[in-house]
Amino acid sequence: MSFYPPTLVQPSPPERARAASLRFSGNTEPFIVMPLVLLFCIYAGYRNADFWSGLNWQLLLQPLAEAGLVSIGMMFVIATGGIDLSAGSIVGVAAVMMGIGTHHGWPVWAMEFAALATGAACGAFNGILIGWLRLSPILATLGTMILFSGLGLALSSGASFAGFPDGLLWWNDATLLGIPVEFLVFVVVIALAVVLLHATLWGRYVIAIGSNHEAARYSGYPVRLSLFAVYSFQGLLCGGAAVLLTARLASARADMGQGLMLMAIAAVVLGGAPIAGGSASVLGTVTGVSAFYIVQNGLLLLGVPAFVQYALTSALLLVAVGLGNLLRGRGEEER
Amino acid sequence: MNHTSFSAPGSYRHEQKLALLLCIFAIVLAVAAPRFFAPPNLAALARSMGVFLIISVGMLNVILTAGIDISAGAILAVVSVILVRFANHGMAAPYVLLLALGTGIALGAVNAVLIAELRIPPIVATLGTAGLFRGLLLEWTQGEWEASIPAWLNALGRPRWGRLDISVWAAFLVLLASGWILHRTQLGRSLFRYGDSPLSAHRAGISARAVIYYAYMSIGFLTALGAVFYAAQLGSVQGNAAVGYELTVIAAVVLGGADIFGGRGTLLGTFLGVLLLCSLQQALTLLHVAAFWQNVATGAIVLLGVLFSAASRHAKHIPSQSGAPA
Repeated sequence: MSFYPPTLVQPSPPERARAASLRFSGNTEPFIVMPLVLLFCIYAGYRNADFWSGLNWQLLLQPLAEAGLVSIGMMFVIATGGIDLSAGSIVGVAAVMMGIGTHHGWPVWAMEFAALATGAACGAFNGILIGWLRLSPILATLGTMILFSGLGLALSSGASFAGFPDGLLWWNDATLLGIPVEFLVFVVVIALAVVLLHATLWGRYVIAIGSNHEAARYSGYPVRLSLFAVYSFQGLLCGGAAVLLTARLASARADMGQGLMLMAIAAVVLGGAPIAGGSASVLGTVTGVSAFYIVQNGLLLLGVPAFVQYALTSALLLVAVGLGNLLRGRGEEER
Repeated sequence: MNHTSFSAPGSYRHEQKLALLLCIFAIVLAVAAPRFFAPPNLAALARSMGVFLIISVGMLNVILTAGIDISAGAILAVVSVILVRFANHGMAAPYVLLLALGTGIALGAVNAVLIAELRIPPIVATLGTAGLFRGLLLEWTQGEWEASIPAWLNALGRPRWGRLDISVWAAFLVLLASGWILHRTQLGRSLFRYGDSPLSAHRAGISARAVIYYAYMSIGFLTALGAVFYAAQLGSVQGNAAVGYELTVIAAVVLGGADIFGGRGTLLGTFLGVLLLCSLQQALTLLHVAAFWQNVATGAIVLLGVLFSAASRHAKHIPSQSGAPA
């Protein structure tokens, strides 16, 4: 007879196989989205040769990387059954901290550290509210969203900062083998996310909490600490996104992260993660966020007006999720 | 008629605490800024609450069904732009108003179709339609302002009948009508039941479709109604109006004790939540607090309110878990 400590119960092989097949059948969205986006790419490349140019992809990959960082963090949050409405505000506060750093002539590393630390601290605050005080994530982060954006505005007096040193702007300018460094940061974070999700106990806890919060608690999983870590990690990634965003725009403002929060949630959902939690797919999330930016960029090159791009990318989310629901059949309804 | 006790508003315990909080706030204000209680200021407070309250009642309907509507701000912008554009082009007032309210109901119906027919989770569906509505609106207006409004619309936003404008009276009527629907009609009761447990509501023969269509079309209608007064009070509208408005509305409803997981919430609580947020903002302005710090205070109040209602809910509903680890 074998003994497993409660946190390390191994599923038997058939169980594991079933779980894997369930996960595959449950996550249809990336397999809807990817061909759609590929078809779209072919069409866009046919209509406008610039679409496949190296410069276009360099310019495309940079904002993709910033949104990607927030999306990866959001993926962990949504996997626990939570949501982080404050992500955009955290990016804003972190960016403002860097602006204040420039104002006081801090060295570049100190500014970067300040942004990351601010992000992590804001995330940790969310983590305390949600992990220890057991507030519902949507409400807690709704409150902190207003709080953090107010903090960012108050610290900057609503002004925008400029005059960042070249050392910081390096993040935007530098390329390695033609690939923007910003995007390489995203690749590193993707790898980190895969390891965290699939090769650490924390990754298991995250999924377990999202599948069944109560069961995870009764199983003796460190629910509070795991949630705290999830939101802190999300805050840290928001701080990272703030560094990249500030470097790219060469300015910092309290409201500069505004669009990122909804984009991140949409990307995770487009990637096939159920909003109720219990499942996470790094591949899906990366597909989701890439789809948004590639389609937006393609529409731009096709000469579609900016506002229509915005409407169409939102429609993409609705179509993908709705289509996924239809394909998955009506079986769920009978539960 | 008998109402099932689980979904009845019950003891209004949360509302009592909220009222107590408001009383303490009022006492502090009476010392710190006695001008707050001058009639002109109170009238201004009431006028700032009208639109907010109307839309909050719609949001309460949605939250009662365990849903959420992120697209309310976008609907508000769409309707107010349509209203002012067509009115400026000389369309007669009654037709413009009908068009505006009809647009609101139609946009709400779009949300309901996505949620009820395609079974997209409400937060995702309304997130998508928020972008969709806003994008199409901005394309239509090309970012231009409608800087003037016709005289009849302007008159609608002007104070009358004792310093108050029509939005305040409309909000009052909306509260009365919603109270009647929520507590005295089968549809209203089924909102609570469905939010409490969709499965048991289904077993009890309640149509999920009817509940969802009613909830989202009612917030569409009420948002459109709010948009009329919004445009009338502001005197100008633009495509980027009311970005993030829905989140403040959700905050007020939740502050009023509505359960984000559905099935629990009261009109009285919603009213008190709106009153607290609006009077806080008014008071901070009177106290010459910079606008930026007002957001910080609002966020803190929302968090405190949520903490506060979570604490009472834990104490009331989950005594059995007190012995559990974590």
